[in-house]
Amino acid sequence: MRQNKTAQRYLVNFLAVAILLIASVIISVTGGNTIKLKIVPSVWQCCYLIIMAASLNLVLGFLGQLSLGHCGFMAVGAYAAALISLAFQRSGFYDEKSGAAFILVVLISFIAAGLLAAVLGLLVGIPALRLKGDYLAIITLGFGMIIVNLINNIPFCGQQGLSQGAASSALYANGLGFSNDEKMKYMWLGVLAVILCMTVMFMFVRSKYGRIIRAIRDNEIAASASGINVSFYKVMTFAFSAFFAGVAGALYSCCNSALATTSFAFTNGSILNSVFIVVMVVIGGMGSLTGSVVAAIGMFFLNYTIKNGAWVNALPAFLQGIFTYPMLVYSLALIVVIMFRPRGILGTSEFALCDIPQWPSRIKKHFSRKKEVTEKREEGAANE
Amino acid sequence: MKKKKLISLFMAMGMALSLAACGSSSSGAAESAATSAASEAAASSAAESAAESAAPSGEFAGTITLGVIGPMTGTLAVYGTHVSNGVELAVEQINAEGGVVLDGKAYELATDTKDDQGDSTECLNAMNALISDGVELVVGSATSGCTSAITSVANSEGVVLITPSGTADALTTEMDYVFRTCFKDSFQGELAAKYAADNGYTKVGIVYCSADTYSAGLRDAFSASCAELGVEVVAEESVATMTDVDYTNQFNKMVSAGAELVFIPFYYDVTGPYLVPQARQAGFTGVLLGCDGVDNTETTIPEGADLSVYNNFYFINHYAEDLAATDVSAAFVSAYKDKYGEAPNNFDALGYDSVLVYKKAMEAAGSSAAADVQAALADTSVVYEVASGKFSFDETGTPIKSGVLMGYSYNDGDTTVTKSSIQALEVE
Repeated sequence: MRQNKTAQRYLVNFLAVAILLIASVIISVTGGNTIKLKIVPSVWQCCYLIIMAASLNLVLGFLGQLSLGHCGFMAVGAYAAALISLAFQRSGFYDEKSGAAFILVVLISFIAAGLLAAVLGLLVGIPALRLKGDYLAIITLGFGMIIVNLINNIPFCGQQGLSQGAASSALYANGLGFSNDEKMKYMWLGVLAVILCMTVMFMFVRSKYGRIIRAIRDNEIAASASGINVSFYKVMTFAFSAFFAGVAGALYSCCNSALATTSFAFTNGSILNSVFIVVMVVIGGMGSLTGSVVAAIGMFFLNYTIKNGAWVNALPAFLQGIFTYPMLVYSLALIVVIMFRPRGILGTSEFALCDIPQWPSRIKKHFSRKKEVTEKREEGAANE
Repeated sequence: MKKKKLISLFMAMGMALSLAACGSSSSGAAESAATSAASEAAASSAAESAAESAAPSGEFAGTITLGVIGPMTGTLAVYGTHVSNGVELAVEQINAEGGVVLDGKAYELATDTKDDQGDSTECLNAMNALISDGVELVVGSATSGCTSAITSVANSEGVVLITPSGTADALTTEMDYVFRTCFKDSFQGELAAKYAADNGYTKVGIVYCSADTYSAGLRDAFSASCAELGVEVVAEESVATMTDVDYTNQFNKMVSAGAELVFIPFYYDVTGPYLVPQARQAGFTGVLLGCDGVDNTETTIPEGADLSVYNNFYFINHYAEDLAATDVSAAFVSAYKDKYGEAPNNFDALGYDSVLVYKKAMEAAGSSAAADVQAALADTSVVYEVASGKFSFDETGTPIKSGVLMGYSYNDGDTTVTKSSIQALEVE
């Protein structure tokens, strides 16, 4: 009976994902101007943000280690994918950005980007994960900065893009960088990459490895006393997470025709930086992959509509003042979430379509339980 | 419990609102207030001038929207806001003078300003949003890095892009729809080398940052021109980042190599407090020669610093008020001071110029459609007379123009360092 129900739930979710993929293909085929210029680029940006947030959640939410250099792995992936695709193009493997040869190159560069990032994750993880808490955060922070500086100083990467800086047009015209039309054409590729990555991450979390790393998060000493090789699983998860960050980087290099290392810094003006990815994970819920998806999409749309949406202009003047400083809005959003929902939007539970009918009762329960707790506390205070 | 939460939430909101209020009084709201006031003023004066002048109907036949993209917030906000100031001033003036006349009909100019926060993804989003809103003429972005993210979109979507201050050489070379109103980096490097050769310096040194496009590009151009002109580069030192705070070792090497002039392609945020004083401390007494990034150094000189170290410190710049070749410059400077209460800088002038160039091109083409304007701009014989001088475009879309040499000087008894223009520079 139970088995049946689980299968049913999986089937429903699978169907929903399949519909999503088909819808994305249909959208990209039908395409009007708004779809081409606004929706498709947004979907692409959501794609890499989702993978980034979810992969950091593995380390931050499921393993319980704070990593502040996640964008460093993304940078490695982005530059690796861009350079590999450019190398294939120069060697004459493909001329036009279509056909089987090009798809093959895209696949190769995605996987290579992920593997390279994973190797770096391994190298960083082995010494770093012997540390805990703040110290680990500092090491990963340093790693993120080192990567950016290394890329800055490798002659063929350059700060403002490939091929010694400003000639990012080279990446655009020949390599992975997609134009708006190609973003439409290959939107299925981005969506498929997200679906595959999320599936693998889900399988990882639901597997015995997932249980092991949650055990490590909850009590490291107890886990190690139960015979779990703590260092091994920590490093493995770190490298696993870095792999997906690398893939997200490859997606990033697809949807940006210019690569600049400032995009992968610890902080910068946009919502793509190591700090913001951490914020997304916290808002979505540490330990909930679907929560990361929701938070990544939410943050992206908040950011996008503040800058390009019309609703800001409809607000009264004194409120518009805030929106000239988007960072203020994000911090307010973070404060609100932390105050009213300290465990993040989804907490540690996952979103499932079959659960939707139960939402009203759950929400009711949530509030009534809270009331009980406060009443009890107030009673306690009165008794004292 | 609940009360406490609500109170703290209100406090957080209050803080954010007050911050926003403070901030907006200096930029956001002030800007919008200024623009709305300006547009009102422009509208009324336009109506007056239309009544007086030849404009037949007294009203505009339509509106042409210019997109403006730049870093309006963030660390590079100075660049974006100044470009936007220059653009707004030009738009206001043009509208007051009867707008853009196409086919005998006057059109009003309007702007749609987007913030890219100095980030290439945001810049691309802003560009796509502008195109989707039907904007065909765009001014932006302020930095080479951001501009390089949108040049390809401009080209593939057929939208004209004029960058006011993206100096990287490669921005315009492959893109037909991309133009700029500033000179390019390699040209600055040539000017600097020519200055060294003309003034009889035979041994020069270079301190630069190999990781930065601007700095490395200038260094390449400078050393190539030096080789051509017979000036020997005796020492060359690189620092790790453009924001390094220690240049002592580099200048010790310059001194021991016997350099008479050192080329320093850095930005003003390091030259004032660190680079120049440390160079002098290391015993370097020769000429320090920077590029346009050095402009505004006077704003970063620390309180109580020994001002005499800033003697013998020169830089190449886009334009100078007093060496201005055209009447447009003088008119621009006085109009800018009237409107904003301060002297304009490079970004103001270049933003202003971008709009003037668009106006001339639209009137030459008789249309505001991107393809027609692009064709008009691509005509290399047209001479544009704008605030930063007279120029015409070369075949890539970069102006052929001149630069000026400016320098800082300090005399005993002065309380500040004086910035003055010295000579106009040209390459044959």
